[in-house]
Amino acid sequence: MTLLDVRGLDAFYGDFQALFDLTLDVDAGETVALIGANGAGKSTFLRCLVGLMNARRGEISFAGEPIAGQPAERISRLGLSLVPEGRLLFPSLTVEENLLMGALNQRPGSWTLARVFELFPILRERRRQRPDALSGGQQHMVAIGRALMSNPKLLLCDEISLGLAPLVVDQIYESLDRIRAEGASIVLVEQDVKRAAGAADRVYCLLKGRITLHGPARGLGLDQLSRAYFGT
Amino acid sequence: MIWVETLVNGILYGGLYGLLGVGLALIVGVMRVVNLSHGEFIVLSAFIGVSLVGAVPWVHPLVLIVPVAVIAFALGFGLQAVLINRVVTRPDPFAAILLTFGVAVVMRNLMVEVFGADPRNLPAGRLAQASAGVFGLHVGVLPIIILALSIVLFTGLQLILTRTRFGRIVRATADHRDVVRLMGVNPGRVYNVVMGLSLALASVAGMLLAMRSSFTPYSGVERLLISFEVVVLGGLGTFWGAMLGGITLGVAELVGLRFDTNAGPLYAHLLFLIGVLLRPNGLFRVRG
Amino acid sequence: MKAARWLIAIVAALVVVAAPWFVGEGALRFVSEAMLMLAMAQMWNLLAGYAGLVSMGQQVFVGLGAYALFFASISLKLAPFWVLPLAPLVCAAVAAVVALFLFRLREAYFAIGTWVFSEVVSLLISKTERLGGERGIGLPTARLIGAHWLEPLTFWISAAIAVGAVAGTYALLRSRVGLGLMTVRDNDVAAASIGVDVWRNRFIAFVLSAAGCGLAGAVSFTATLYVAPSFAFDPNWVVAMMFIVIIGGIGTLEGPILGVVIYFALRELLTVAFGLTGGWYLVGLGLVAIATMLFEPAGLWPLLRARVGGDWLSVRRHPPDREWRAIMPSTSDAERRAAEERSRRGSAH
Repeated sequence: MTLLDVRGLDAFYGDFQALFDLTLDVDAGETVALIGANGAGKSTFLRCLVGLMNARRGEISFAGEPIAGQPAERISRLGLSLVPEGRLLFPSLTVEENLLMGALNQRPGSWTLARVFELFPILRERRRQRPDALSGGQQHMVAIGRALMSNPKLLLCDEISLGLAPLVVDQIYESLDRIRAEGASIVLVEQDVKRAAGAADRVYCLLKGRITLHGPARGLGLDQLSRAYFGT
Repeated sequence: MIWVETLVNGILYGGLYGLLGVGLALIVGVMRVVNLSHGEFIVLSAFIGVSLVGAVPWVHPLVLIVPVAVIAFALGFGLQAVLINRVVTRPDPFAAILLTFGVAVVMRNLMVEVFGADPRNLPAGRLAQASAGVFGLHVGVLPIIILALSIVLFTGLQLILTRTRFGRIVRATADHRDVVRLMGVNPGRVYNVVMGLSLALASVAGMLLAMRSSFTPYSGVERLLISFEVVVLGGLGTFWGAMLGGITLGVAELVGLRFDTNAGPLYAHLLFLIGVLLRPNGLFRVRG
Repeated sequence: MKAARWLIAIVAALVVVAAPWFVGEGALRFVSEAMLMLAMAQMWNLLAGYAGLVSMGQQVFVGLGAYALFFASISLKLAPFWVLPLAPLVCAAVAAVVALFLFRLREAYFAIGTWVFSEVVSLLISKTERLGGERGIGLPTARLIGAHWLEPLTFWISAAIAVGAVAGTYALLRSRVGLGLMTVRDNDVAAASIGVDVWRNRFIAFVLSAAGCGLAGAVSFTATLYVAPSFAFDPNWVVAMMFIVIIGGIGTLEGPILGVVIYFALRELLTVAFGLTGGWYLVGLGLVAIATMLFEPAGLWPLLRARVGGDWLSVRRHPPDREWRAIMPSTSDAERRAAEERSRRGSAH
């Protein structure tokens, strides 16, 4: 069953076109990776999905409902959740308060504060601290936990491995396995091709706002990916 | 003895100044907007109070603070929803300044036309004269009530912001206006309530001030400047800092008036300018 | 083109010189007032629209300039206009000193800080008997000018000040200091990173603006032969300056000119045609300003500019044509102008 269906998306920053005729879909239960270099348009795409940005043309349909052009507040209630690039945690709130903010739009499901603490035990210890007292990896955990608290149908992860040590990234990706096991679909936006392709069922590659490659993760060779990623 | 009394009274009235400023500090902290019509709303509240006193003269003005605060909340909500929300998302920091300045000019002159330029005040009755003997000092009863009220309101505001779900939402919106939208929060609606709170607090200060001294439609300027000085001295956007800033200014003004009777707010202003020179980040950096 | 501009300038100058013989005193007063408002508005625009400093206290310099002139004229027993240069000098000096305090504040805080300063000066002068205290002082030395010459002299000097304000601002902005100013206005962090001295540029603009306001204020009060703190330091001066600039077009040189026309037209309309008193007129002005901020924050000049066909007093800089074509090989002149227009409209606030 198709959960997310994007067709012909064109997005602009003023006169600058960032996305060209983007077409992409995600099925329920799938993990889809969206890879590409800096500035390829990955974050732009995610912002269009969640309603923080309006695409000029194209259609987006989520769980059968058209959501292109809707305000972010409304879209957030439908089960779409974003772990933003750079985490964007609330510095004035404690870890626990950050997580609770995610629960404002809580849909029925298995993710609660207790379950999130189970997934990331270190956060329980640090629940009353402010985000700036946490390490990078721990902040990523808070950001993911915050997104999970609403029990999303589709979790969008924007560069969750950025700036982290490999061991920490391992931890984060392990948590993705458990999230997947609970039934969420995931879109992984990454610069790290190996990681993303390794964790995903299907891969899309974005270059300068266009999809240059897509297919099942297993079937893609390094050469192919390079060409699609760099455009050579 | 006289000086100690002046000092004590200065502290007590300082609580009032703190209250004048905390409404402004609230919206500065949450929306990064300075409402230049803050002073005019303070004065408008006092005029509404005067009108209510005329309508129900058997009720003491202190009690009338409640309905006036409710009205002020509604006005603040409306002001934000209709006008300020349109400019708050603009990157240009001046749009809000200029817009609220326009509102101030309109309000000031409308009040002159509607209420007239004669000085008014809120009769506080026997309470205004009453004084209590505390440790051998003569301290006015009204100032004590004012200080107590200020502390209650300050504490209430702190509690709302730190202990309630709504407070959490306000703080999050202040941190990241866009990210909260991902959690279903409409920042505009949060701002409406915060502005309402801001003006409600200002209205309480306005009513209390009116019991202490007379006012005209032009008094808004002075109220705005004091509020602003309180916010800056207190450390831009923190609350207890605003309280301490208010007390400092209150003391400065009363002490100044002791030896220079027609100085008005001159010494408070001078203290502010010196404070800015020496410690531009505020005299009291208190985590609010 | 240049010859035509010079011709217009000369004709205009002749009209100004000859006017007092043909035009009644009331009309002269009106135009003088307009000219002085234009000068003050340009000064406020220099600060806010080009240096990025919004001042709510510029009235302090209007008043200080007036008091400086009155005091000097009376003490030295000289005709007022002889000591006119003192007004901008005093204001410049005061501005230079107070900048040390006020420049520690940013944006809205600077704005209100200037207002606090104005109130302090007003209160201090109210308490100074030698300067007339709250009642103010008259200008007995005005007799040295001669009754018939007061209005014409005021008129010529006001016109000269207005022209000077516009021309001076134009020259300043086309200079290196001006370029520095505009980079600071647009993005002070970026400007600092390329070596622009942010503080110094703003300081220069602040001092010049103070001097200009002082000069205009001195002439304005000379014409009324009386100055008192409540008039000299009346916030309505800066209200007028602000509204003229906002409605006309902030950050442009033509904007305040348009703004002055609209301001006085509105005033005459509301007070004469509708018979409203001063208070209501200010309400109307405030409402227009609010509407402008909401719907056309760049003011009315950018709207008019398209119809009038280009700038009269543009201080924008263009790369030399050859280099432009090298970067944008495929755009025609029309496309390029359209792109410029779009970016100008977009960045005008």
